[in-house]
Amino acid sequence: MEKFVKKSLKFSILIIVVILAITVFFAKIAKDNSRLETNLDKYMPQDHPAFKYSNMAEEWFNIKDAVVIAIYNKNGIFNYTTLKKIKSITKELGKMKEIRKEDITSLYTADNIVGTEDGLDVRSFYKRVPKSKEKLEKIKNMVVTNDMVYGKIVSKNLKVAIVIARIDDDVFSQDFYHRILKLAKKYEGPEKIYVAGRPIVEGTLAYLMPKDMKKMVPIVIIFILGVLWFLLKSFKNTITTLIVVLISTVWTFGLMAAFHIPIYAVSTMIPVMLIAIGVAYGVHLYSHLELHMKENPDISKTDAIANMVKEMWKPVMMAAVTTMVGFISLLTSQVYPVKYFGLFSAFGVFSAFILSMLFIPAVLYVFKLPKFKSKKEKEEHTKIYFTATEKIIKNKKLVIIITFIVLLLSIYGITKVWISSSFLAKFEKDSEIRKTDKFVNENFGGTTTLNVILEGKKKDTFKTPEVLSLMLKMQDKVTKSLPVVGDSFSLADFIKRMNKVMHADKEEFNNIPNNKDLIAQYLLLYEMSGDPENLWRVVDDKYQKANLTFQLKSDDSVQLKKAIKVIETFRDKFEKLGIKINYAGSGYKALVFTDLLLEGQISSLLVSLLIVIVLLTLMFKNFYIGLIGSVPIILTAVINFGVMGWANIPLSSTTALISSIAIGIGIDYAIHFIDRYRIYAKEFKDKDLASKHTMYHSGRAILFNAMVVIAGFMVLVFSVFPPNRNLGELVSLNMFTSFLGTLTIMFIILYIKNIYFKKEVKNENEA
Amino acid sequence: MKMKLRNFIILIIAVTFVSGGLFAQKKLTGLEIMKKVYNRPSPKEMEAKLTMTLISSSGSKRVRTIKQFIKDFGKVEKKIMFFLAPADVRNTSFMNWSYDDPNKDDDQWIYLPALKKVKRISSDSKGDYFMGSDFTYDDLGDRNPEEDNHKILRMEKVNGLDCYVIESTPKDEDYMYSKTITWVVKDRWYGVKKDFYDEDGEYLKTLTLKKAENIKGYWIIVTVEMFNKQKNHKTIMHLSDIKIDTGIPSRMFTERMMKRGL
Repeated sequence: MEKFVKKSLKFSILIIVVILAITVFFAKIAKDNSRLETNLDKYMPQDHPAFKYSNMAEEWFNIKDAVVIAIYNKNGIFNYTTLKKIKSITKELGKMKEIRKEDITSLYTADNIVGTEDGLDVRSFYKRVPKSKEKLEKIKNMVVTNDMVYGKIVSKNLKVAIVIARIDDDVFSQDFYHRILKLAKKYEGPEKIYVAGRPIVEGTLAYLMPKDMKKMVPIVIIFILGVLWFLLKSFKNTITTLIVVLISTVWTFGLMAAFHIPIYAVSTMIPVMLIAIGVAYGVHLYSHLELHMKENPDISKTDAIANMVKEMWKPVMMAAVTTMVGFISLLTSQVYPVKYFGLFSAFGVFSAFILSMLFIPAVLYVFKLPKFKSKKEKEEHTKIYFTATEKIIKNKKLVIIITFIVLLLSIYGITKVWISSSFLAKFEKDSEIRKTDKFVNENFGGTTTLNVILEGKKKDTFKTPEVLSLMLKMQDKVTKSLPVVGDSFSLADFIKRMNKVMHADKEEFNNIPNNKDLIAQYLLLYEMSGDPENLWRVVDDKYQKANLTFQLKSDDSVQLKKAIKVIETFRDKFEKLGIKINYAGSGYKALVFTDLLLEGQISSLLVSLLIVIVLLTLMFKNFYIGLIGSVPIILTAVINFGVMGWANIPLSSTTALISSIAIGIGIDYAIHFIDRYRIYAKEFKDKDLASKHTMYHSGRAILFNAMVVIAGFMVLVFSVFPPNRNLGELVSLNMFTSFLGTLTIMFIILYIKNIYFKKEVKNENEA
Repeated sequence: MKMKLRNFIILIIAVTFVSGGLFAQKKLTGLEIMKKVYNRPSPKEMEAKLTMTLISSSGSKRVRTIKQFIKDFGKVEKKIMFFLAPADVRNTSFMNWSYDDPNKDDDQWIYLPALKKVKRISSDSKGDYFMGSDFTYDDLGDRNPEEDNHKILRMEKVNGLDCYVIESTPKDEDYMYSKTITWVVKDRWYGVKKDFYDEDGEYLKTLTLKKAENIKGYWIIVTVEMFNKQKNHKTIMHLSDIKIDTGIPSRMFTERMMKRGL
C-alpha cells in the first residue's frame, strides 16, 4: 500500500490536472443543462393514486389555484375610484397571457340574479362605473342582498373586495409573479392592495429561498474557512479541504445536469450535506498528518503523505461507504426529488472521498508540507485530551444517566412533533405575505381550499333533493364545527339561490326544493341565463359527479385533517345514496405529499440504520461494534426530532431531510473513533492508554470537524428566512450531538464492553 | 336570455336565388357583401324541431330537443320554444318578442312546469352562451354589418362553391370578438364558415355549415356546428320537420300557450 501510494505521488501534478479537467467538464455541463424546478406539482409522485385522482378531478371541474387581489378602502368600496380600480384590475388581469378571462371573478364580472314578484332579472352589478350617489348606493344594496357575492367577493364590512384569478399550475413563473405584484402596486393608494393565494405564497417562497441562500452561503463558507484555518493552522490545507467539498459539489450537479435531472428545492440541501460530511475527510487526514509529523519530526514528505493515506484510507472509505448507503436508502422514498437527493448525495460523498484520497495527497506533494509546532506544545495539547478522557471515564455513570435523561426528554419531545405542509408557516409571522393572508382570511372565507369530490353511480344523481340536502348538511356541519373553515360552496348553493330567486327572493325558499324536476328545470334555466362555466365548476355535465369546495383560513395540514375528519363522518350517509367521497386540490395534494415524504423519510432512516449496523458488523467483524457504532446515529436522530418537538419546529420536507445528516455524520465519527481505538488497543494493550490516544487522535479531528461545520451553519441562524434558520439550527445541533455522543456515551459503552480487550481484561481482573 | 327571431335567423339563413346574377356584377366591397347576407329575405313563419347536441372535451354528449315556432309580425318578431327532451325539463318553455325599434329591449318569458309559473326575464348580457352551447346569443343574431369594418381577404372554394373570405373587425373596441373571418358563398349570400377570434386576438372557435336545404325557394341551413377550440367543446344544431309559412296562429305566442305546452 505504502509503495503504491509513494509511486502514485509522482503523478501528483497529473492527478491534479485530471481532477481539475473533470471539474471544468462537469461545470460546463452543469452550466449548460441545469434547470431549476420550481413547480411544486412536479415534486409529487404523479402515479400515486391520490394524485392521479386529484389530477383527474381537477380536470373535470377545472379546479385551479387562485391569485387573490384584495382591494381595501377603509371608507368602504362603494365609491367611484374603488369600483373603477376593481374594474381595471379585472381587465388588466384578463389581458395577461397566463390568465383566461373566464377564470377571473370579481364584482365587475359577477352576475346579479334577482327575483321579483313576476320575474327574474339577470344583470351585472356594473359595467360603466357609476358616479352618482344613488347609483352607488343601489349597487351596494344589490351586493348586500346577494349571498353569492356578499362575504364571498365583497367583505361583510363592505371595505374589501377581491379579484380572484384562477391560474393553471404550469403558467406560474418568476416573471408572472413580479408582474402581478407590479400590477397590484400600481393601484395602491388611498386603497390598500393585497396579493394573496397559494400561487403567490409558492412564488414568494421560490423567490425568497434561493435569494436568501445566495446571500448566506458565502458567509457560511467564510466562517468555515476561518474556523478551519484556525484549527488546521494552515491556509493551504484549509483551502484544499474546501476545494474538495466544492469540487465534489460541482461534480454532483454536473452529473445531475448530464442526466437532465432538474434541481429541486431539496437538491439545494446537497451542498449542505457535502460541506458537513466532506470537510470531515480533510480534517481527519490533516489531523492525522499533523500528529504523525509531530511524533516523527524528521520524516520525509513522501513518507509522511504515504503514512497518512495508509493509515486513513480504510476508516475514510468505511465512513464514505456507510454514508453512501444511508443516502441510497432514500431510494425507497416515493417522492422523486428525494430519490434523486439520496442518489446524488451518495455520489457527492463518493466524489468527496475519492478527491480526499487523491487530491489532498497530490496537493500536499506538489506544495510544501505545512510546518507544525514544537513537541512541547504538543504535550500540552495531548494533556487536554488525556484529562478529558480521564474525566469522561470517571464520570461514566453520570454520562449514562444524562444520556438516558436526554433520550427520555427527546422521546417525549418527539411526541410533540407536528407535521406541517404549510407553505405560509415558512414565512416570518410578521412578514408581508402572512399579514396579507391573515387580512384576506379575516375578511373572507379562506385562502386555502379543500375539494371534496362526490361521485354517484348514475347520471342525474346530483339533481335529486336528498343528495343536495345531504351536501348542504355536510357543508353546514363542517363550517359550523370548525372555525378554521370559513366558507363552502357547492351545487346545492346554486339550487338554493335559484329557488329563492324564482320565489321572488323570499327567504323561506332559500333551500333545496323537494322536487327533482324543478331542480332539473332550475339547472336548465341557469345554464341558459347564467354562465354555465360556473356550473361546471361544481358539477359535471351528466350531473353524476360534484365538486364541493371548503375554504380554510389556514394551509396547515393539521387543519385540513380536522376538516377531513368531520367530512368522513358523512361517508356512510353518502354511501347509502350510492355516492363515493374523494378529495382533490392542491391543499389536499400537499397533505398527502407531506405524509408520503415523512413516511419515506422515517422508513429510510430505519432501513439505513439496519444496513449501517450490518456494514459496521462486517467491517469490524464484530456484531457489538455494529450496535455500538449505531449509537451516535440513533442519539443524533432521536435528539434531532426531540428538539424539533420542544422547539416547535414542524416536520416539513426540508427539516425531515436534515435527519439524513444524522446518519451521514454520526456514522463517520463512530467509524473514525472505533478504528483508531482498535489500532491503539493493539498497540498499547491498555484500555486507558488506548482511550486517551484515540481521544487525542480521532476525538480531536471529530471536534475540529464539528466546530467547523457548526460555526458555518450557525450563520444561517441569522437568516431572515425561517426554513433556512431551522436548517442552520438543526445541522448545528446534529453536528454537536454526533460529536458529543461519539466521544462520550459511545466511547463509554466501547470502554465498558471491553471490546478489543477481552483477554487482557480477564487477566487484569484475575490479578 | 336573448332569443330574438332575427338573432336566431343565421341558423335559418334563407336565400333567394335571384339576389345576384341578374346584372353584370360590379366589384363588391366587403361591406356590400355582408349587407347582402344581412338583407336577405327570410320566411315569415317557421316551425321546426331543433336538436342540440353538446359534446364536451371528454367526448360526453348531451342532447336536447326543442320544438320552436317563429313568426314575423312586422314590427315585432315572436318566438316560442318548448323542450321535448330530456324528460325532466319537458314542457319547459321560452318566449321571446323582439322589436324592430333598436331602442326597445326584447321581452322574454320562461315557464317552468314544476313551478307552474311564468316568469319574465330581463338581462343585459349579450355575450352569454345560448343554452349552455358554444353559440353566444350574438353569434345567433345577425349583427348589423355597419357595426364592423370589413375587408375582402381573398376568394376561395369551399365544397366546390366560390366564396368571398371576409375579415370583419368591430368598431367598438370592447366587443367580445376582436375579429371574425367569414366565408360567404358567392351569389347565394350565406356563410359556410366563420372563424372567431377572442378579445385578445386569439383564435377561439369556428362555425361550420354542415347542411343546407332548399325549401320553398329559401335556402334553409339545416345543420351547423360550432367548435370552441379554447374549451375543446362542440355544439351541433340540427333542424328537422321544417315547415314554412303554414299559418301559425297569433295565439301561439302567449303566456297561456307557454303554460299549456304542446
